[in-house]
Formats: sequence, C-alpha cells, structure tokens
Amino acid sequence: MTAPAPALRRFGDNLRAAPRRLRDSLFRSGRPVSDRTRASFVFGNVFLHLHPARVHRWSLRPTFTLGLGVMTLSTFLVALVTGILLMVYYKPSTALAYDSIKDLHFVVPTGRFIRNIHRWAANLMVVGVLLHMARAFYTGAYRAPRELNWVVGMLLLAITLGLSFTGYLLPWDQLAYWAVTIGANIAQSPREVTDALGITAWLDAGGLQKELLLGSDTVGEEALIRFYLLHVMVLPLALCTLLAVHFWRVRKDGGLVRPADAEARLGPAPQGTWPVFTEAPQKTYSLAALVKGKTAAVGRGPEGTVPAMPHLLLAESAALMLSVLLCVLLSVLADAPLKELANPAVPENPAKAPWYFLGLQELVAHSAFMGGIGIPTVVLVGLGLIPFLDRESEGTGLWFGGPGGGRLVALSAVYGLLAVVGIEAFAIHYGWIREWWPKAPQLLITLVNPGTVLTAAYAAWSVWLVRRHDSTRAGALGLFTCFAVGFLVLTVIGVHFRGPNWDFYWWPSQWPGH
Amino acid sequence: MSKAAPAEAVERSRLDPEPIPRRDFLGLAATWSALATLAFAALGMLRLPKAAVLPSPSKKFRVSLPESLAPGEPFLAPGRPVVLVRDGLGVYAVSRVCTHLGCIVQPSPAGFDCPCHGSRFAPDGAVLKGPAPKPLQWLAVSSLGAGSYVVDEGAAVPPGTRVKA
Amino acid sequence: MRFYKHLLLWSSLGTLLVLGWAAVAENFLAEWRRVQRAARSRLPPAEAEGFGVELRQVVLPELAVADRCVSCHLGMAPGERGLPGDKALAPHPPVVHDPAAFGCTTCHGGQGRATTAADAHGQVEHWPEPMLPRRYFYAACGTCHTHLAVPSAALLARGRDAFERHDCLSCHRLDGRGGTLRPGGQGGLEGPDLSRAGARGWRADWHAHHLRERDEAPAGPWRSAFAGVPEEERAALDVYLASRVGAPGLTEAKALFHSLGCRGCHAVGGVGGADGPDLTRVGQRDPGQRAWGGVRGERTLASWFQEHFRAPARVTPGSLMPELGLSEPQIDQLTLYLLSLRRSSLSNSFHPRDRVRAEKLGEREFATDGATLYGTFCAACHGQGGEGMRYPGMAPFPAIGNPDFLAIASDDFIAETVRSGRPGRRMPAWGEAEGGLRPAEIATLVRYLRSLGPAYQPDPRPARWARGDAARGERLYASACAGCHGARGQGGEGPMLANPVLLRSASDRYLAETIRAGRRGTAMLGFERPTPARRALAPSEIEDVVTFLRSFEPKDREKRP
Repeated sequence: MTAPAPALRRFGDNLRAAPRRLRDSLFRSGRPVSDRTRASFVFGNVFLHLHPARVHRWSLRPTFTLGLGVMTLSTFLVALVTGILLMVYYKPSTALAYDSIKDLHFVVPTGRFIRNIHRWAANLMVVGVLLHMARAFYTGAYRAPRELNWVVGMLLLAITLGLSFTGYLLPWDQLAYWAVTIGANIAQSPREVTDALGITAWLDAGGLQKELLLGSDTVGEEALIRFYLLHVMVLPLALCTLLAVHFWRVRKDGGLVRPADAEARLGPAPQGTWPVFTEAPQKTYSLAALVKGKTAAVGRGPEGTVPAMPHLLLAESAALMLSVLLCVLLSVLADAPLKELANPAVPENPAKAPWYFLGLQELVAHSAFMGGIGIPTVVLVGLGLIPFLDRESEGTGLWFGGPGGGRLVALSAVYGLLAVVGIEAFAIHYGWIREWWPKAPQLLITLVNPGTVLTAAYAAWSVWLVRRHDSTRAGALGLFTCFAVGFLVLTVIGVHFRGPNWDFYWWPSQWPGH
Repeated sequence: MSKAAPAEAVERSRLDPEPIPRRDFLGLAATWSALATLAFAALGMLRLPKAAVLPSPSKKFRVSLPESLAPGEPFLAPGRPVVLVRDGLGVYAVSRVCTHLGCIVQPSPAGFDCPCHGSRFAPDGAVLKGPAPKPLQWLAVSSLGAGSYVVDEGAAVPPGTRVKA
Repeated sequence: MRFYKHLLLWSSLGTLLVLGWAAVAENFLAEWRRVQRAARSRLPPAEAEGFGVELRQVVLPELAVADRCVSCHLGMAPGERGLPGDKALAPHPPVVHDPAAFGCTTCHGGQGRATTAADAHGQVEHWPEPMLPRRYFYAACGTCHTHLAVPSAALLARGRDAFERHDCLSCHRLDGRGGTLRPGGQGGLEGPDLSRAGARGWRADWHAHHLRERDEAPAGPWRSAFAGVPEEERAALDVYLASRVGAPGLTEAKALFHSLGCRGCHAVGGVGGADGPDLTRVGQRDPGQRAWGGVRGERTLASWFQEHFRAPARVTPGSLMPELGLSEPQIDQLTLYLLSLRRSSLSNSFHPRDRVRAEKLGEREFATDGATLYGTFCAACHGQGGEGMRYPGMAPFPAIGNPDFLAIASDDFIAETVRSGRPGRRMPAWGEAEGGLRPAEIATLVRYLRSLGPAYQPDPRPARWARGDAARGERLYASACAGCHGARGQGGEGPMLANPVLLRSASDRYLAETIRAGRRGTAMLGFERPTPARRALAPSEIEDVVTFLRSFEPKDREKRP
C-alpha cells in the first residue's frame, strides 16, 4: 500500500475540516465572548446588523418600551409565515374560496390551528401597532430628529389596517361580504359631499375609489382577486419596505429616545450585567466623515451602553416568544370565525366590520363621509403634523413627559370619556338632525353630526390646554388622549352595544329574534 | 466648469467637492427625461386597474306584477334588490340598495329599514331617520303590457315618475 | 437581564406546551381517528391488517361534493365492507342512487367537508343545511326530483284500497311489504316489485296479461289469488301505481298537500296563490335565519314547520295563516312535504326527467282531474265539499258547493270568477297569467263543482234585464243589505258586492235569485219570506235593489277587457 498522493491527502483533510470551516465562515469572529466579538457578532450578521453593536441601558428597561415594537414585528412575522402556509390551500375564487377555508379547517393537517394563529396574529398586530404608537407618543419619541420615523410609523399603521381589511374578505363568508360591501361604500362616500354640492357628474372621487377597489360595482370575483393581490403581495411588500426604513431610521436617529439625564435616573447597573462601557473610545470617523454635517449618533459616546449581544437580542427574543405564546394560546382557545357562504341578497344583521373598524363604523352610522373619510383624514393629518408642530424638549424620553404630565393625561382621559359617552348617549336617546327635521339639507348633517361634534369638542379641549400650559405638547397630549379614549369607547359601543339595524341594546341577548 | 470656481470654493473641505453646476444641460435633460418617462409609464400603469367595462350582469330585468297586488303594497322583485308598487297613478320601482353604505333595506310596516346602520325610509324612499344621505333611488320602469314591466337598475329617475299600469 | 431571561424561558416553555397539546389533539384526539381505531379493533384480524386510520371521502367534482362522512361511517366508503350490523359503521343499504356516485350530502344534507360529528351533521351555527332528520329522510328526493301528477289523498287512498283488496301483495312486493309465501309453500314473490313502478313504468295491458296467465296456469297462486279487477278499480290501481316512485310517504304527503287547498295561498313552482309565502324552496331555508321565539323543542326546520302548523301566529307573529286544526299525522306528512321542497341548484345535466318535465315542459305536479284540482287550490277556503269556511278574524269564505248557488250560477260565471278572482278580496285570480291555471284546468274545475250540486237551470232572459228604480233600491239596500255587505258594498260579514268582477260576470238573475231565495246554510236568508227582524221584499223591490247594485260597477267598464 503506497501513501496517497499529496493532492488526495489534502482533499481528505479539507473534507474533514469542512464542517469547521463552514462554521467559521458563518461566524467569522468566533464565539461572542469579548466585547469585540460580541459587537462583530451583531454587525457581521446580515439579519442582526440593523442592531447597534451597543445599546443604552435606558432602551432596555421593560417598563419603557413594553417591548411593543418588537412584539408587533413578531406578530407580523408569525402572520407572514402562517399566511404563506395558508396560501398552499387557499383558492381565490368565489366558487372555491369558502370551501377551501372549510377544508383548511377540517382536513388540512394543522390547517385549523395555522389559520387561527394567522387570525390572532393579525389581531394582535393591530393592537401592537396602536399601543406602540401610543408609547411613542407618550414618551415624546416623535420629536426631532425622529419626525420622519413617526410619519413612517403612521404609514405602517395604515398598511396594517389595510392588510387586516383585505384579509377579511378572503374567506368569502357572510361576515366578509358585508363588511367589505360597507368598506367599499365608505370609499365611495365622498359622493355624499359631491352630491350635496351637485358636482358628482364632473368629479366623482368616491365612485372612482370604489371602482378601483372592487373592479366592479358590487363585491364579486374581481373584488376577491384584487383583495387577494393586495393582501398577499402588494401590502406585505410595502410593509416590509417601510419596516426596513423604520428600523434603519431608528438606528440613524440615534436609537430609542431617552432623556438627557438617563444615567442619573438609571442609577448603578445591577449585578449580572455585562460591563457598561465607560471608557472613552478611540473615535474614528471613516465613512461618516465623508458625509457633510453630522449623523444623529455622532457626538454621543457609547457611555452608559451595554453590548447588544446578548442584552438586546435576549430582550428581543423574549418579546418574540411572548408574542408567539399569545398567538398560539389564543388559537387553541378560540377559532377564527367562519359564517355562512356569502349571500349578496341577504345582508347580515347587524353587519359588523372587524372590531378595530367598529369605532369608525359607529361614526359612519352618523355620516358615511365624515365617519369613514373626513374624521380619519383629519386625525391622520393631525397625528402626522404633531412632530412638526411640537418643537419642545421637556419630557422627551419619559412616559407622559411634558407640561402637565400624567395628571394632564388623566384629566384629558376623563374629559374625553365624558364627551364621547355624553354625545353618544344624546344621539342614541334623542336621535339627530334627520329625525328632528327630515328636510334638513344633507350638507348640514355631514358637517354637524355626533362624530364632528365630538372632534370639535376634543379640538376645543386641546386648544384650551395649549393656552393654559403655553405648550403645544400639552395640547397634543390632551388631544391624543381624548382620541384614544374616544376610539376605545366607540369601539366598545360598536362591538357590544349595537344590534340589528344598528340599534342600541344593553346586551346581545336582548336582540330580537334570538 | 472652470468658470464655476469663485472665492467660496476655498472654504470647502477636501471631502466636499464642487457642486454640480446648474447649467449642465445634458445631465439635466437626461435626468428629467428619465423621470418624465417613468412618470408617464406609471400613469399608463395606473390606468390598468380601472376597468373599461364592468363585469356586472345586465341591470335591466323583466318582472310581472300579480293582479292581486293591492294598491300601494310593495312587491319585491325576485332576485333583485328592487321593490315595485302599483298605486292609483301607475307603477313605480324603488331600489332597495341603501344610499348610505349599500346594504339591502328590508320592507317594514312604515316603509323600509336598513339592517346595517339603522336608516329608515318612507314607502316612497324618503329618509326618515339615520345616516342615509339621499332618498332611495327611483328606477326607470317601462310597461310591456299585461302586467309585465322592464326595470332598469342602472337608470335613476326623479321620485314621482310612474308608468301607466 | 434576569427579567428577559425568565420571560424568554417561560414564554418558550409555554409555547412548547401549547404546540405539544395541539400536536396531540391533531394526531391522536381527532374524533374520526377514535372512531376508526375503535372500528379497527373490532375487525377480523385479516381485515384489520389492511385497514388504515386515515381520512376517507367521496369526491365528485361535478356535484361539488367532497363528503368526508365516510371517515366515520366507514362501511359506506366506496369499496369498504365496514361492520355489518353496526348502526354507524354498517354498509349503506342498497339504494337506487349509489353513494359512491352521488355522495352523501346530495341526499342527506349536512356538511360533507366537516370531520367532526356535530359539524358534519350540520346542526351548528352558520351552517344553513343541516342533515334531514331520519323520519323525514324521503324529503331528500325533492332535492332533484319533482314527482308529477300527484292526485289528492282521497284518490290515492282509493287506489291503495283497491291494491290491498285485490290481494296484489300476495305476489307483488311494495315498499318492503308483500310477496309472502302462499299456504302450502307454493309461489310467493312471483310478480315484480312494484315499489318504483311509477318511475320505471308498467305494462299497459297488465290486466289482460294477468287474465291470460291465470287461464294458462294449471294451479298455484295464479289460480288461487287472481280473480280479475273491475274496470273502475283498474283506473284507481293505475293512479296508485303511478304514485309509486320509491319514496314511500312522500307521495302521500304531497297528496295531502293537494287535498287541503294549500296552493290556494302558497305557490310552488310558480303555480298557486300569493297570499302566503312562496314555498318553492321552503325546505332549504336556513334554520339560523328563522325566528325561534314561538317554537318549542329543538331548533330544526322540521320542528319549526310542525309548530307553525299547530299555531302559525305564535311562530310568525302577524301570520295570516289560520289554525287549520290538523291532526298530528297530517302535520307530520305536511312537514315531510315542505322539507322536500328543496330544488337544488345542481347543473342541468343532473336534473332527472321528472324535474325537466315539470320545469321545462310545463307538466303539472298535481293531477289535473277535478277532485285533485279542487283539493289543491280551493279546499282550504271553500271547504272540502264546497261548504265554505270560517276562520277566526277573517270574513267567511263562500259556500260554492251550495245547491242554491249552483242552481243559478252559469258555467261561464263560475269560470270567470275563477279566472279573474275578486280584486280586493281574498279570492285571487287563477287565470294563467296570475295564478297559473290553464283554461282546460279551469273548465275541469267548473265541471267538478257542477258535480257537487244540482244542474244549472238556464235562463231565457238576457243577462241584464233589471230596470228598477235605483233610488228606491238604494234605500232598500241601506236598510236590508248594508248591515252585512257594507254601506258601499265593500263587504263585511257578507261578500263584497261592489266587486268589479262579480258585477261584470254575474247576471241579473243570479243577483235577484240570490236575494230572493238566499243561501241555505249561510247567514244569507231569502228575502221572499219575512223574518222576525225584517219584512219580505217584493219581486219589484228585489229588481230595484239589483238595479242599484249595478251602480257599483266601475264607469270605465267598456275599457276593461
């Protein structure tokens, strides 16, 4: 037996070493044991490199972020994965859609569970987005230099709601059909105004919106395929793109917001924390030096920071798993709804939209245009303007920070509650203009209805706060709180207190015919 | 190029080179024509989702009124969201599609009720209550004789328009 | 740090636990798995070997059927033997429609795609087509079939009596009965099974054939059991045979529907009155959309119908339908019939011949003899024998079998009344355009009515001869007639006299005779004799009243067709 040729021996050695080399090429910097390797673990990884290598202790406090951003992202990822799985069986056609959902429910292995998870993840994502937004608002995280990210966040909210709404139609059951019929007609509701002005023949924005959405004049095959396209392709792509922008901006805007005296507020680091960086580093400017001006991060040292690996990654993993736990737990407890096959001749009574639109539906039950388009537009524009109007700095990075603080928020919540309950109770008990003067012009009702009156009441409160505290932030705090409370109360009314013919009932058990 | 190098250039750092001169016609023309082309293409693509013809079936349909139909009593056209009424003056058709958000209104003793947001209508379609911005539409009817009529769901007529029975 | 570690640990463990539970539920606890495992343990070892615990189904794309019923009802899956004798696992009994070719839900209803008993049997929320109850199972035939020319219950009973009386069951089997052995062990079930004779057809010369066979046979049942059938009973037997289509009970139920006059108010397939709801598809209504306020018992369509028959107004507040005083067996039969009104929307290629003949060729579901027509359309209001009906809260319905009426009502008058009805009153117009009866059928009805009473006595005078004093007639009318017939002839306790169709078609003699002689057995007493409450009317006074009645006629009468 002669010794193998050197080339063959090298081949054998290389083969034996291949697993180790593969590991080395995956994790170039070796095990994350030192500060340096931990940092390169993060920025050497395509999936992790959106993270900073080091993160401030303030950002890691659970009571500060509540993990809401990560949880929202997690529910989106869960919905993404389960959604792709559902697409394996779902057939976007009016003749087959309902049956394919039934098959998913009854015979597809894990189909029912996966569909439930998808549905719960979608719901939790809406909750997450809303709460995350409230967190960002109450901690003043929208302030410069984070104005743009606040606006991106609002777009993400809109896309999230769009994803939910388009997904609602796909099972093609009664619930879906009538909720989407109502939704499509809300899109058409600018006609309420153009008709009242008599200009619909020239400018029919409402009709165009509805036609683009449905591809027809009623909800049918065309609407289903459009909604499917939006749900599985257009909106997720848009969402992912904007998510990337959102995260990128978090990095570029200097991480999460924190007060100037964060160090003092935090006190000494507890036991078991990786060493907090205190030593001034050798700053190098490299790429940043080529850019004119300064990036937000420049000028802020790594003082008070801890390595992102493992601190931040651990926190994120925990939030992710908590979201997953919520999704699967709820999915075991409650099935996603599926009603009768869609029937265009018999409306559901009551026909209710998904819960997060029921607040709007309550407004819509007074005026289609104002409830469905007017007030939401005002609210969205108002929210979008907040960071550009509030140029103050008091309370940045603190919960309910700003003039008035928590007391102002609590007062506003009480005021918002009284206003919305009062106006709704009045409208439910006494009716509105149409019942008093059936001949009243429509424009009057569009302009003056419980929704607009409520909006005006909230706006008035906010203006008073601005004057009282001589601060835009105070007004914004009041206004946001009022709208949040108003949204909540209207949603509760829409979910619980509205029955057939959108009449008021204390309990669903009192609905006629049951 | 060399003309655009006045005194201020001295203050620029070595990392911040000269700005692109404003009168670079070729560059500007190229950039703007690219943008214009893309904008035009986008415009063309936006035309696609708006269908030229809607795929909905014919809006006209035939219906026969039973002779025993009492005057003023609503007759629900089978399979269509339309109600027909014969009274002393003739026959008319009223759409049952709610003018608020498109639900199908149901006949009630007082006229019509909408199940979705509680709009109420008089028998002639006038709004009595609720968020509906307009009365129910009256639809064009033509008589074929012998109690048969053609109703056009797509053609609204002013309230009060009747066709002789 | 510790907080996040704990959170991560417990969230992960929690998720693992939930996923583990889901996996167990999915792979071990599914209902159909338990059923199949139990079935496998009972199979003989040789069969248990090849028996896989897996989802089984009947898939028929052209019928839009994917029925997983056979995942639990194992014996009914195509090619399976199941466990004979077991209630749920036995093979399907032999039927005309092979489950492998028609699926399960096509006949039984329910939710074929479901794999749990509750969902599959369909009595769950949001499923509009629950399974048909076992006792009403034959209602399923109505999904596709439309049995034609079903006679009234009395005619059907006559045929059945003849069938039994002539001992046809000694040789023939019918709906599982008959064909028994004769004493001495001879013969038995020699003749064909007649359960589906109405669908398959039978030889027209059966009677002559039987006679010939009897004459040729040396002995045995042919000689001992068959003794010829009289002509009249042969016709009754033919009617009965035509009704045997393999749906025992359903034909009887439909015959009952054709005897109680239900179509007087309810249309089925475009023929019938419009006072009540159209019943063409009433059997496939969604139980979830019914009002259950007045219904006792379980929430099935069947119990809704039953309760509705017992007390319509309790189940449907404001219902015009009177309490008909039906017996429980009748309620049972009518429930079966209503459940059979299903008319699936299957593609045309699946429509059986009878349905095509009914829907496309205009053949009738009811027999078109006079008795059946009367039973189908008239009996509910005018009574089984034309004696008229009184229902609480309604004006009494006229007794059209009354001899006083028939003696003076001409055929033309009756036919015109049937054709055009009494606008504004409960009597609908039955002409082809409105109620859907054809001229020949109306003529048959008139002949049948005629057979209930005395012959018409023709009147030599022209239709309109009354030339009385209308003013005097008005005064007489106000004092003598208005109490029952209304001040303007609008009707009340008595019929509406200002009715355009009545005045157009009734002759003066008809009106005058009715006033003079009255209607026996009704509140209308003849005016030729006085009563304690009022005086008699002289013939000239009656003529005045008739003249006045004519003034109710619409002025544009010549414009009417």
